[in-house]
Amino acid sequence: MAWFELLFGPEGWIGLLLNGTVVTVALAVTTVPFGFGAGLVLALMKLARSRVLRAVCDAYTTFFRGIPDLLALFIVYFGLQALIDKLGKLAGAGGHIEVSAFAAGVIALSTVVAAYSSEVWVASLAAVPPGQGEAARSLGLNRRQVFRLITLPQLARVALPGLGNIWTILMKDTALISTLAVTDLLRAASEASRATTRPLVFYTAAAVIYLIFSVTSGSVQSWLERRANRGYA
Amino acid sequence: MKTNGILGRLGLATLALAASMGAAAAKDWKTVRIGIDATYPPFESVNAKGEIVGWEVDYATELCKRMKVTCTFQNQDWDGIIPSLIAGKFDMIMSSMNITPKRTQVVSFSDVYFATPPVFVGSAANKSNDVSPAALKGKTIGTQSSTTFSNYLEAYYKDSEIKLYPGGDEPQNDLKAGRLDYTVTDLIVGNTFVEKVGAGCCRVVAEIKRIPEIFGPGVGAAFRKEDEDLKAMLNKAIAEVDADGTYKVIADKYFKINIRGK
Amino acid sequence: MDTLWQVLGFVVNTELLATYGWRIVLGMKITALVVITSCSLGFVLAFVIARARMSRNLLITNAAFAYISFFRGTPLLCQLYLVYYGGGEFRPFFQEIGVWWFFRDAYYCCILAFTLNTAAYQAEILRGAIAAVPRGQVEAAKALGLSPWRIARHVVFPQAMLVALRPLGNEVIGIVKASALAAIVTLLDLMGQTRFIFARTFDFSVYLYCALIYLAITEAIRRAVNALEFAFSRHVRARVTVAAKPALVSGEAAVIGL
Repeated sequence: MAWFELLFGPEGWIGLLLNGTVVTVALAVTTVPFGFGAGLVLALMKLARSRVLRAVCDAYTTFFRGIPDLLALFIVYFGLQALIDKLGKLAGAGGHIEVSAFAAGVIALSTVVAAYSSEVWVASLAAVPPGQGEAARSLGLNRRQVFRLITLPQLARVALPGLGNIWTILMKDTALISTLAVTDLLRAASEASRATTRPLVFYTAAAVIYLIFSVTSGSVQSWLERRANRGYA
Repeated sequence: MKTNGILGRLGLATLALAASMGAAAAKDWKTVRIGIDATYPPFESVNAKGEIVGWEVDYATELCKRMKVTCTFQNQDWDGIIPSLIAGKFDMIMSSMNITPKRTQVVSFSDVYFATPPVFVGSAANKSNDVSPAALKGKTIGTQSSTTFSNYLEAYYKDSEIKLYPGGDEPQNDLKAGRLDYTVTDLIVGNTFVEKVGAGCCRVVAEIKRIPEIFGPGVGAAFRKEDEDLKAMLNKAIAEVDADGTYKVIADKYFKINIRGK
Repeated sequence: MDTLWQVLGFVVNTELLATYGWRIVLGMKITALVVITSCSLGFVLAFVIARARMSRNLLITNAAFAYISFFRGTPLLCQLYLVYYGGGEFRPFFQEIGVWWFFRDAYYCCILAFTLNTAAYQAEILRGAIAAVPRGQVEAAKALGLSPWRIARHVVFPQAMLVALRPLGNEVIGIVKASALAAIVTLLDLMGQTRFIFARTFDFSVYLYCALIYLAITEAIRRAVNALEFAFSRHVRARVTVAAKPALVSGEAAVIGL
């Protein structure tokens, strides 16, 4: 079958596709701590006492949730390069600082994920009963300890469904990075289909791989939710 | 959380980050990063192993040997290739980029290292060789965006429907798929397409005169305006490779016609 | 008028606007067309799929489930490539059955891909919204002898739509943002025109103007949805106390919402 040969034959493109898959997974996984972490920080700042801080964070969230992800990635990708260059010149570095395409992609994705996840975090923080925090304060714990010991462990359970949704969005947004010359799965499929003018084979293969990801993610998410809800009715 | 604590820590982190980023030494060129849009066979394309290959890759590697630097190639979409150069993602563009007045405003170019005419590529079923604007009125013509080809079409073919594609090989692929009546591309790219991928479906219809204001004198390598030293190094290498005949050796591996165009 | 232009020139690159402003307007028109067409067609299709998903016939339910899983589990860009480039590969077949004119055009390919995609998401939203209507009401209506059509039209539909309003609004906003992908398959929508202008002028600010326009559009939609929800939930708000209000309306939406 021609399809089989195109993929697995001696000149087969499956190697390129698998490399792209690895890059896609790496992009998504690397973005999780940065994106969700920044989202949590953003959420905490939104609940801060300073009005300026709240306004700035709200503006950030509104901006990155209101524009297309593709555009956000473009802005961060090109803007980041210019920014790093200027920072580098200020810090006295003589030449040009290298930010790999992968790192730029992670930063761009994290910017968007932070905006989306901050909404989930805000809702989750509100769901943790405030009475517990008050009781802890009256026992003498300071605000940082209250957050670390009481709020944070309970956050995961409430935030998990919302964060799971964002993980799904993140996985699919990695495909947008393909337009910025990082060879992820979709770009690998594009390159293969352009070289052979047989787009159907490669885009179907890519779609199948993405489907495997989403089904796997769904199962993992269900398992995590069941574990997190263990002690609760 | 105390603000000055957080701000202080953020400030320290930024300084530490800036200090730890290794800066590529600019004045002493040991490695040169070359930006290339690998969607333009046989000049540059990506093979099944994901490597960037093509005549321009071989030629650039030879030039780098003469300049005694290590060269790395970075695949970059055509639309963003000049902004990426200016922002510092790479040090040089060698991607069949024509020298035009508009581009010279933002980057500086090396000497011309090849010049070939653009052509119209059409379907094999279409026997007519007339490509005047009047004959192509209402037809769909495709080409890569942000190229001298797209500038040419926008200037002279206002009555035709012009479609712009992000990649250099995409217009030809869509021509094969039947979405376009014609494409405009480089002569060599067109020939390669018609021989290999587009065999049977398409043919090179007509050559286009290289109008100087639109197409410029030829193809050169692009540099940031401040990198005059790198430009001088490359010009020297170009002259060397011409003089000792290596240019012809590399070109003959890929092309049957002379593309030097001097 | 002139001085206004000059003052504006300090904030905004007026030269760019003057030369390329018409392109931006053209792009906005295409974006609006694509969004409105795909969302409307997708809504109609979503009803069919949601109905299929809730059917008792195992084959139909699973087919609907497979459809939804595919279109929610793969990136929209991949689906777009499949329709546009994959469609090109089927040209002889399409020409034979006389539909090549559809797949030839980037505009129609985009509409098809976006419609299929949004229908999957909207079907899930509708399914959740219909499920949120208390079963007791449906049973009571049946006991009163109402036909299935009347039950749907007078009991289920109004309440379900209220619950679905906010998630559907989010989905429309999602399509507005996703429409930017059309630029990658040569359609010169707002995003496409912006990339075109950037490639000509190398002026980064054009991306920021584009962002502001998208922001204005999505904010307008969001506020419109808020206003609609407020207007249609009067019957729900009037009879309950202030404390219970948030839980009743937005709580259910949060359960259904994306």
